This record gives sequence, C-alpha cells and structure tokens, in this order.
Amino acid sequence: MNIFFQQLLNGLTLGSVYALVALGLTLVYGILHIPNFAHGALYMVGAYAAFYFVGTLGANYWVAMIGAAAVVALLAVLSDRLIFHRLKDAPPLHDMIAAIGLLLFLEACIQATWGAEFHRLAPPYPQIVRVFDLVAPAQRLIIIAAAFGLMLVLHLFLTRTLVGSTIIAMAQNREGASLVGIDATKVSILTFAISGALAAVAATLFSPINLIYPSMGHLVIMKAFVIIILGGMGSIPGAIVGGLVIGFAESFGAFYVSTNYKDIIAFALLVLILSLRPQGLFPSGAR
Amino acid sequence: MLRLEGAQLNYGSFRALDGITIHADPGELVVMLGANGAGKSSLFLAISGLRKLSRGNIWFKDQNIAGRKPSQIVQAGVVHCPEGRKLFPEMSVRKNLLLGAYVHRQDKKETQKILDQVFEMFPILHEKRNDAAGSLSGGQQQMVAIGRALMGRPEVLLLDEPSLGLAPLVVKQVLGVIKTINDNGTTVLLAEQNAYAALQIARRAYVIESGRIVMEGDRETLLNDERVRKAYIGA
Ligand SMILES: Nc1ncnc2c1ncn2[C@@H]1O[C@H](COP(=O)(O)OP(=O)(O)OP(=O)(O)O)[C@@H](O)[C@H]1O
Ligand SMILES: [Mg+2]
Repeated sequence: MNIFFQQLLNGLTLGSVYALVALGLTLVYGILHIPNFAHGALYMVGAYAAFYFVGTLGANYWVAMIGAAAVVALLAVLSDRLIFHRLKDAPPLHDMIAAIGLLLFLEACIQATWGAEFHRLAPPYPQIVRVFDLVAPAQRLIIIAAAFGLMLVLHLFLTRTLVGSTIIAMAQNREGASLVGIDATKVSILTFAISGALAAVAATLFSPINLIYPSMGHLVIMKAFVIIILGGMGSIPGAIVGGLVIGFAESFGAFYVSTNYKDIIAFALLVLILSLRPQGLFPSGAR
Repeated sequence: MLRLEGAQLNYGSFRALDGITIHADPGELVVMLGANGAGKSSLFLAISGLRKLSRGNIWFKDQNIAGRKPSQIVQAGVVHCPEGRKLFPEMSVRKNLLLGAYVHRQDKKETQKILDQVFEMFPILHEKRNDAAGSLSGGQQQMVAIGRALMGRPEVLLLDEPSLGLAPLVVKQVLGVIKTINDNGTTVLLAEQNAYAALQIARRAYVIESGRIVMEGDRETLLNDERVRKAYIGA
C-alpha cells in the first residue's frame, strides 16, 4: 500500500510538471502551428532564473517563482517578436530550424554564465508530511497542488474571460478571429507569455527535487512533445491527460520494470499508442 | 456609402483584382456575380483588411479605409461574413455570436440587445445556443455566421456566397433573412454565383470576371442579358 502510494505520488508529481510544460507547448502550437523546440530551453532558463533569485538575491521561493515566470514570459515574447513572427510567411521548416537555433543559443548563454556543472535549488520545504502511515515530502505535495491550481486558473482564464477566448478563437479559426476584430499580434504575444510563464513555474516547482544544468530541458521537451502528440496537437485537455499518463507510466515503470528504463517508457508508449490511435488520444477537436 | 476605386490585389505575381471600381449607396443591396476564381472573395478580403491592396482606394463614408487593420474596419462598421463561414467550431453558438461583438466589448448592454435580436431572427440558434457551432447543420452554421456578423453592428455587410452548399429551401430562407437585414437599413454587398437566386432580392449587380468588372446593371437588364443567362443562370 505504502509503496504503491509512493509511486502514485511520484507519478502525479512528474505528471503535473510534464503537463505544465506540455500545456505551454500545445498552446503555442495551437495558435501558430509551430513546434517550439526552444520551449525546453525556456524551461531550463526558468530553473536558472529561480536559482539566481533564491541563491544570489536571497529571494523567497514564491517570489522567485513569480520572478522566473516574468523573466521567461518576457523571453518567450521576445522570441516570438524577434524570430517566429518574422518567419510567419516562411515555410514551416524555417520555424523549426529557428527554434533549434534559439535552443542552442540559450543553452550557450546559460553555460557561459553559470558553467556546465550541476546546481541545486535549496528545497524551501524540506519537511515530510505524515498522514496515518503514509509519508510524503512536502515539496511533492506543493508541486501537485500548485500545478493543478495553475491549470485550473488557466482553464478559467481561457473559457471564462473574453481575453482568454480570443486565444481559443484564434486557435479554432484564425481568419474568423481576425474578421471579428481580434488582433493576431496581441494573441500571439499573450500566448507566448503564458507558455513561457508555465515553463518557468514548472521548472521552479521541480528544481528543489532535481538538478539544474544547461541541458536539463532536453528530456523534458522530448517528453512534452510525446505528450502533445499523444494528447492531440493543440489540445489542452490532451496535454494534461497526456502529462499524467506519461508521469504515471514513468513512476510505475521505474518501480515495476527498472529505473534504467524510466526514460524509455515515454517513447515506447508513444510508439505503442500511435500505432493503435494515430490521431492521438484527443484528436484535434478536444480543445 | 462604400466605394472602391481602381482596386488592385496581387497574390505574388498573380493579379486577383485588376482595377475594380464599384460602389454601394446607403441602404442598397448590391450583388457581385462571378464564377469560381473570378475574385469575389479576394474583393471582400481586401475590403475587410485581411488582404492589402497594392493599388486603389476603399472609401467608406468619406474615410479611406484601405490599409487599415481588420479590427479598425469592423469597428468603423464594415463587417465581413466570409466564404466557408469561418466559425469557432468547438465554441458554443452563443459564444460565437458574442465574439462577433468583440470590437464593441465595452458596450455590453447594446451587445445583449443585438444578441436578442439575432435570436429572434433565428429561433433555431436560440434553441441551440449552448451547442458547439461545429455540430450544427450547414444552414444553421450559415445562420451563426450571419448572426456573428450582425453582432459586429454592420453599416455595410459583406456576405460571401452564403448560399453555398445549402439545400434550395434553406437558400430561400437565408436569402429571406438577408432581405430583412437590408430592409432594416443595412447596406449589403452579396457575392454569389447563383444569379437567379441573388437577383430575387437585389436591384443592382456587378459581374466580375478574372478580377475585372465586365458588366453592371439592374435586375431586369441582367436577367435578360444573353451572356448572364448563359453563364450564371444556366438557361
Ligand atoms: N491566397 C491565394 N494565393 C494565391 N492565389 C489566390 C489566393 N487566393 C485566391 N487566389 C486566386 O485568386 C483568384 C480569385 O480567387 P477568389 O477566391 O477571390 O475567387 P472567388 O470569386 O471568390 O471564387 P469562388 O467562387 O470559388 O469563391 C483565383 O484564381 C484564385 O486561385
Ligand atoms: Mg470566393
């Protein structure tokens, strides 16, 4: 029971972090139809920003999270304005190459500043929570609560506010959205900002139980791609469900199969599900 | 009310509009007749600001709106109900309609009033207001598209082939609604291939071919013209 509970908790922790990263990726894909490979680098910059705010400036953990979200949101918006927006009439391949270029650029900048070694974000809540005979590290519970809280806020924003519905409208029909007077540029800026902020929050949540290093975004972004392909490109519920599926598969797989194969599981699952359901779990339509 | 002068539009090296000069007087219902690829949609896209003219002017009530952003053009009072409807398929009918009033988002009261009018005009949309727009039949989706355009408070309404793909009975119903909208004072520019149907409700029409206006006239002249009968009525 206790061991099962541990795996459940691990799966939820991983899944909620993956879901946050995948949400940002799927939002940008839904609006601009570009696979933003640089999204993993935004996640990585988010971790370093939080590390800088906490470690160097001595900021409170939550303040650092907000700071990191702001920095990465700005960076994401800049990447849209300076790179992706300028390529809007170019073939899709150019977007992808530019995204990979940006990824390498950001990694090089971080490495030049902080070096290639591992860093740690001091755990703000090192306590262990005990309920009956179940134990859980406080940080994991915080990750789960914060991630799901943020997803709920995002959901309410997208479905209940007019500004949020401009994003959904643009994703569902770009021309229709322009014809009712929705400004594509504003929607694009907003979408990139949200996507960057989500990546930074995910990184800040996950960093206290993980390591910070320049290429830390690689595996996360690959998995986020697996998630949005599984969930259906552009689908918001798909990103959340897909994130949880991968999170659980990894935690239970690591336990019942082998930790060595943990990272293969996501990709094995991708091959398996896509051969059964090539359109993904939530084919476009579930937005 | 609306006047184009020498409008020219290029897609790369292809010239889709080649010096179009047309006008619509206040309260008029004018038909743009043209076959597939004649340039009707390009013309409307240029008026609503989704495509930029390479030459020419678009006058709307003494202002030149050529080069303005789509949102500014909607705000000014020229609203485009596009070919293929371009709805938000997974949003409810009600939300589609409300987004039609996006540029008037400060004025919720008036928006609610117009929404009620749209529901009155299309009772079926009221019935299906919470259904996803994409789940409706073709005719109902066309009503959502027209309703959404009305929510933008048009003084000039551009309707691009609203009868396309609809059953004859539904076409009749849609044309009836367009007539009512026009009778209520909205200037309408209607693009159609179906001359016979369109000329039932319009007084005046232009015939567009390969991006040029090749004929202009009132209903009787056009219905009796040999070329028009051959090309657009099939008689
Ligand atoms: N985005 C585009 N790029 C290149 N050529 C285009 C584009 N859009 C339209 N065209 C061409 O411009 C010409 C006019 O097209 P347009 O869509 O305006 O015609 P239409 O009269 O609306 O036709 P239909 O009745 O089929 O809707 C056509 O030859 C078409 O192939
Ligand atoms: Mg057309």
